[in-house]
Formats: sequence, structure tokens, C-alpha cells
Amino acid sequence: MWKPVRLFTFKRKFDFLVHRRAALIISTLINVVAIVGVFTIGLNFGIDFKGGIAIQAKAKDGTAELDQLRTVVGNLGVGEVSLQEFGDPSTVLIRVQRQEGDNQCVAGAQRVMQKAAGQGWQVKPGAAGTGDVDFTSPAALDAASWRDAVSRAGLTLQERQLPRGSTNTARIDMSVEQRAEWCQQVAIKLVEDAIGSNYELRGTESVGPKIGDELMRSGIWAVIATMFAIAIYVWVRFEWQFAVGALIAMLHDVISTIGIFVLFQLDFSLTALAAVLTIAGYSINDTVVIFDRVRENMRRYKKMPLIDLLNHSVNETLSRTLMTSGTVFVAVAALVLFGGPVLQSFSVAMLWGVIVGAYSSVWVACAGLVYLGLRPDQLRPADDKADQGDKAEKAGA
Amino acid sequence: MLNLPRWQTIAIAVITLLSALFALPNLLPASVLQHLPQWYATSRINLGLDLRGGAHFLLEADLRSVLTERLTNLSDAVRAELRKQQVPFRDVTVDAGKNLVVTLRDEANRSKALEAIRAVDPALALSGSGDTIRVAYSAQELATRKKEVIDQSIEILRRRVDETGTLEPTITRQGDERILLQVPGIKDTSDLKRKINQTAKLTFHLVNEDVAATGQNIPQTLPPTTFLVPTREGMQELRRTNPKAWEDIQAANPRLSPEQICRRYQPQCLPVLKRVVVGGEDLDDSKATFEQQQGGRPIISFTFNSAGGRAFCAATRANIGKRLAIQLDGEIISAPVVQGAICGGSGIITGSFTTQQTQEQSLLLRSGALPATLTIIQESTVGADLGADAIQAGTVAALVGTALVAIFMFVAYGPVFGGFANLAMLVNLLMVFAGMSILGASLTLPGIAGLVLTAGLAVDANVLIYERVREEKALGRSPFSALATGYEKAMSAIIDANLTTLIAGVLLFGFGSGPIRGFATTLTLGIITSMFSSTIFTRMLLSVWVRWRRPAELVI
Repeated sequence: MWKPVRLFTFKRKFDFLVHRRAALIISTLINVVAIVGVFTIGLNFGIDFKGGIAIQAKAKDGTAELDQLRTVVGNLGVGEVSLQEFGDPSTVLIRVQRQEGDNQCVAGAQRVMQKAAGQGWQVKPGAAGTGDVDFTSPAALDAASWRDAVSRAGLTLQERQLPRGSTNTARIDMSVEQRAEWCQQVAIKLVEDAIGSNYELRGTESVGPKIGDELMRSGIWAVIATMFAIAIYVWVRFEWQFAVGALIAMLHDVISTIGIFVLFQLDFSLTALAAVLTIAGYSINDTVVIFDRVRENMRRYKKMPLIDLLNHSVNETLSRTLMTSGTVFVAVAALVLFGGPVLQSFSVAMLWGVIVGAYSSVWVACAGLVYLGLRPDQLRPADDKADQGDKAEKAGA
Repeated sequence: MLNLPRWQTIAIAVITLLSALFALPNLLPASVLQHLPQWYATSRINLGLDLRGGAHFLLEADLRSVLTERLTNLSDAVRAELRKQQVPFRDVTVDAGKNLVVTLRDEANRSKALEAIRAVDPALALSGSGDTIRVAYSAQELATRKKEVIDQSIEILRRRVDETGTLEPTITRQGDERILLQVPGIKDTSDLKRKINQTAKLTFHLVNEDVAATGQNIPQTLPPTTFLVPTREGMQELRRTNPKAWEDIQAANPRLSPEQICRRYQPQCLPVLKRVVVGGEDLDDSKATFEQQQGGRPIISFTFNSAGGRAFCAATRANIGKRLAIQLDGEIISAPVVQGAICGGSGIITGSFTTQQTQEQSLLLRSGALPATLTIIQESTVGADLGADAIQAGTVAALVGTALVAIFMFVAYGPVFGGFANLAMLVNLLMVFAGMSILGASLTLPGIAGLVLTAGLAVDANVLIYERVREEKALGRSPFSALATGYEKAMSAIIDANLTTLIAGVLLFGFGSGPIRGFATTLTLGIITSMFSSTIFTRMLLSVWVRWRRPAELVI
């Protein structure tokens, strides 16, 4: 059997808060740079938020020819296209911008129709200002055949939209928004038709304009709601200075994590947002443990100057902070190394979050308490109940 | 604190064992599972589509145009009723797709007009003043209609997507106007998309009784007015006897015409006249009911709109004794003999049906068109091998992650305390699995990330306790007292730390969608169960251990 390994075999008396000014400057700088980065360089939003199409394709003959693919897909008239190797050299992630339902898309729909149903087909935009589309078939078709033909371009038709009798032209009425959503389908079809013979399509993801906007909105709300809910919790459990300190630490971690996304241009997707929220929760977890000790020590050493008291508390909880950060770090590192490309940006962000979370608990949250002028006499008396219970139990034992 | 009553120890042990029992079906290999009772073996965690492979579509129903259409129909009815009641009006218009505006010629007729409109539908909300009356559906009526449209769409989608009955699609309502369609393990989504997009086409044709065409016996040339259509039973028969042919028909591009199918594969077919007697667009409703007399045989009743009713009346009057074929999507679903002229705008189809058949057929008749246009607003397709890759990556990451955490804990706190913490981590994972099995939650790739993260976070409670025990030990407490105080003093930090993470997890679940929910589920469950495993469960282990070993000194 082996003996436990201790991180510190000596009595720890590190003076953390002596560096609080330097930390303040560094933290402020990082956050300002992150915010400026978001507004100048911008986040690399994934299709979850931006809307668009992501197709994972694997070359049938082994290696994906990125340059050649870029030309092929770029010339489809589906707007901006970006390609990147995904996981291994044979796999490529093709991203197509969200479709706005413009005339170029209608021209694309014509190519889709011609490939699926014959060269004679024509598709033209209808009246300006509407989303209407005019289909012309090479021969007169009845309603059933119309429906069947048009469905090849990914379009649903209602009974009322079907042409009556046998005709070779049909105007399909749509709103502009509906056309934009339909154009997503057209774009997928175009890419599939263009690369389908040489590439195996492993997965397709498409987020229409409408849902993208919704996800973006609910994402922003989720971040705000989470931070405030946590701050309110801390406020209820501790004094307001702790809540403010915790909130600032959380903001610091969230903003700097977003900064990491800007810096490395990581894909900011829903999973990345999950990482940001988890970091908010994790960062506060760390902060609260130290705060808990600060409060306990304030009751015990009523005369100790705040800076010494904070230093003492941080030192006391230091090995716990390092241990927990360590376990989470190795767990997340396993995700980074083995979790596959889909989880990559999530795991990288989490890894950063673990480090910055530990840093901010000391140099942002605790330093914040110094600047907020917390004094022992500000502790709520009601909070002493726990200690009294402790004593009572001991007396009884 | 460490003196647990016996019943508590037993209760904790029972909870732990139960969790293990619930989690077990997820961990056992299939060869063992097949020997276990089915209810137990099948209570496993569902894999999300990103792991299993499959297609996920979020469809939005265009309810606005449904409402506009309804209002247009309503305006016809209102006009007719006003004319019938002899209320002079200037105009009845559909306004902004929300309500009807009735403009009267004379204000004095207002009350008479209101009465007439109420006669059309008493539930309508009427407002306005002077010579204008605004007619709107009540909020409740609108909500019911919306629900109806979505429900009917779901019903039709189910029939259409799962024609073969093997796909196990999940079709659920999402909010007011959306439908989530998930089809696991599907390869070709373009086919699926076409099925979603296709609205079935329903037409009534007369059977050409002068042409004999059964089985092999198809004449080479048919009169130009006639074409061949396979019957539904014929196609089902073909599928049973010659599945290859059936697949070829499904895969054919461009689609084979009914006549081509008849000639090439020779299922049971009927020669029908090309002229359409009535189209599905004129069919209002269809129900499975029972005959009033003659012992109440199951029958199918149907109702036409006025145009359809007139056409149907004329056709049936002229063709008594002949068969009328009902064609749905290139198959004849039924060809009843016309017993007499059907002129009331509604009719019945009799035959030797079972109740189930009449229900099926009436659904087929109704399921012609989707009640609203469905637009795919979000789509995610994952190929099976991509899913397999994700499972592989997730499993490796989870195993390596938990193993690293376990090593970390062993090294830091020694074989006993590290061992207890690791046992707690294992119990925690089992409890998460059990919880997910019970809740019927799906495990997604981000869900696996949540599990790995939980493994790292869950030992935090033990770290807090152990560090506290070390401090108390350093203060000179006895082993028993150091353990007891360590647990006690660490509790407040553990609760605070877990609850804050829990807040993030719950909000993530509330705001998140799709795979993120999977992450939030495992994270939230993991935090909740870790409160049990890391504190209560380890406390039980330690209390048993302390009483058994009575250590003179804690090796921590």
C-alpha cells in the first residue's frame, strides 16, 4: 500500500493578494481585449446561431482534395462557403452560409430540377417582393405529377397550390421567409449533387434563418439568466459584497472564455455556449468554496485585517482548489484528446475555463472583496447559526 | 455524524444496489441480456441520434395560410347567410389574415346582420361599430384549430414516413406550430424528405368494365380513355411475394406511372377511366362509422363540398351498378359498386370491411393533403458510421477521463480514502445511468461530455471533505473526530458549490435544445446524484470502515 501524496508538506503562507493590482490590470486587459476582439474580429459563429449548412463528407478514395472541393462548391452559387479538414485527412467539413432566398437560389433550384426531372425544366422567381416561384415543365402535367416533380426540389405543395387541370407552368406562392427556408434545402441538394459521386456524405446539418435567430436569442438569455440566478443565490447565502465579487469573477471568466473563442476562431456553436455556461457554474463553484472559508474565518478571527484573512483563507483552501481543478482538468483533457472533432471547441473552452476559474476565484473574486470594503461586522448574525449548531452538537456529544 | 443508525446504513446500501440494478442493462452485453426478462433487458438508455445515426427534422407548419384559407371559406358562408337572411351588404373581406370585415349597406340592419353571422357559427367573436362588423375566431377556437392542424399533420406524417412500419420514427409536437420528426438509423434522407413533402393525391374514377384486365391477362392496347392502376392489395401482395420488384418500384427515378407498374410487374390492377369524377380537394371529411340498419356493418362515410357533391351526384346517377375506383397516390384503395345516386353531398362506402379496415381507409381518404405546408427549418442527419465514430470517441474519452480522475484520487488520498472516493464516483455514474434509464432520457455525445465532466466535478465533494479532515487532523483531533468534523464543516461548501453548478445545469436545460439538453441532463443528474454518492454514500463506507478497523491514525 502506498501513502497519500501531499501537494504541500509545509505550512502554506503565500501572499496572494499582494499581487492584486497586477492581477487587476491583467484581468482588465484580457477582458477589454476580449470585448474589443468580439466587436472587431468577431466570433466565429457556428451554423446553430448564424443559420446555414454544415456537411461532413468523406472522400471515397481516401484523401479529401480541399482546393478542388472549394472550387466546386464555391461555384454552386450558394453564397459563402468554407471548408476545413475534420478529424482526419479524408474527412472534410463543408460549411455553407445561410440562404436568403434570393434569385441565385431560384437558379440553383432550376439546376436541381433539371438534374432530378429532366433538362426541359425551368424555375424562375415570381413577382418581385413576394417569395413566389414559377415552374415550367417540358410537357403538360396533371396535379399529381406536378406535386411529384416539385417535391424533387424539396418543396411541399398544398392542395390549393397545385395547378388545376393539365398545364406546363405553375406559380407556387410563398412568402419571402418561406422561400429562404426552402433555399436551405435547395443548397443542400446542390452540394449533394455536386460532390456525391466522389464523397460519402456522413452527416448534414442545416439551420434555417428563423431557428438560427431564435437560438441566438435564447442563448444570450441563457447566459444572462444563469449569471443572475447564480449571483442571486450567492447573495442569499452570503453578503452582497460576496455576490458582487462572484458576479464579477463570473463575468471575467465568461468574457475571457469568449475571448479564447475569438483568439483561436473556434466554432462558437450551441455546444460552445454550453461550455460557457458550464464555466460560469464551475467558476462560481470554486469561488464559493473560498468564500465559504472566508466567512468562517471572519467569524473566528474577528480582529484579523481583511487582506491577511483572505490570504489565510485562500491558503487553507489552496490544496482543495488545486486538487479539484486537477481532477476536472484531467477529465476535460481526456475529452480534448479523445472526444473527437465534434466536441473539440467545447473541450478546449472548458480546459481554459478550469484554469481561469481557479485564477479568478482568488484574484478577481477575493481581490474584489478588498475593493468592495468587506468588514467582519457586516456579516449577518443569522449566518452564525451553523456555528452555534456545531457547538451545541459538540456539547451534546 | 459518523454514528449512522443501522436502518440508514441499510437504506443507503439499498439505494445504491437499486441504482446498480437499474443501470445494469446498459452495461451488460447482448448475449447476457437475452436470457433476462424482457422488461428488464429493454429498460436501457436511448442513444441520441448523433450516436445512433439518423435524421432529425424540425418542421414548421404554415398556420397563417391555414387561417387565411379558413377565413376565405368563412366569408363565403357569411355571404351566403346574409343573402339568405336578406341583409344587404357592401362587401365581406378577409383582413390581414386575422379577421373578416363585413361592410353593410345600411347601419340599421346591424342587429339582423349580427344574428345572421351568429347563425353561421355561434362561437365567432364579433366587434366593430356602425356599418362595419369585424368577425374573428375566438382565441380558444384558434388554439383548438391550431392543435387540430398539428395533430392531423402528425398523423399524416406518421403514415407517410413509416409506410413500411420498420422505421420507428418519433414524431412530436414542439410548441404551437412545430413538429419534431426523428427517424433513427436512416440512410437516405432525400427519400424521406420527399415523403414529407409529398401530399397524397386522391381521385375518384369509374372502372372501365368493358376491359378485362386481371393478372397476366392485360390487353396490349387499351382504349385511349382508359389506364391501368394497381390496387393497394395487389401492391401489398407484390411486396410479399416479390420484394425485389417492390423495392425497384420505390427506387425508380423518375417515378413509374401506375400503368408501367402494372405492365412491368403485374400486380392486381384495374382498368379505370382517365376522367376524374371528383378530386380529393373536394373531399371535406371521411369517417369510419357503422351502418344504421342491417346489423351495423362497419362502413366509411364521406362528405364533399358543394362542387364535389354535384359532380359526384351526376356521376353516380349515370353509373349505377358500375364500380367507382378510389385512387390514392397511384393505388386503388377501394372500388365499391355504385348502389344508387348519391346526391346529398355525402355518401358511404359499404363492403365486407372490418372496423379496422374502415378506420384505415377513412384515414387514407382524409390523409390526402397535409392541412398545412410544412417547412423544414432545422435538419440534422448523422450517418450510422459517423454515429459509431462518436460512440467510439465518447467511450474512450469517458474511460480515460474517469481513469485519470481515479488515479489522481488514489495518488492524492491513498488506497483507502482515494478508494472510497473512486467507489463513490463509480456509484455516481451508475446512478446517472439508472436515472437516465428511468427518465427515458437520451444519451448524446455532449451528454457523454457531461458525464466526463461530472466524474471530475463529483469527486470535488470528497476533496473538500478530505482536505478538511486533513486540517482537522493537523489540529490534533482523533481519527474519529477528525472525520466527523471534516464531513460536517465541508457540507456548507459542498452544498453551495453543487447548487451553483446545478443552477447553470437547469438553466442550460431550459434554454438549450437538442444535443445541449443531453449535456444538461447528464450534468444536472450527475450533480444531484453526486450529492448522494460523494457525501452520504462515502460517509456510510467510512463509518463502517472506522468501526471495523478502528485506526489509531488516519492515513490521508
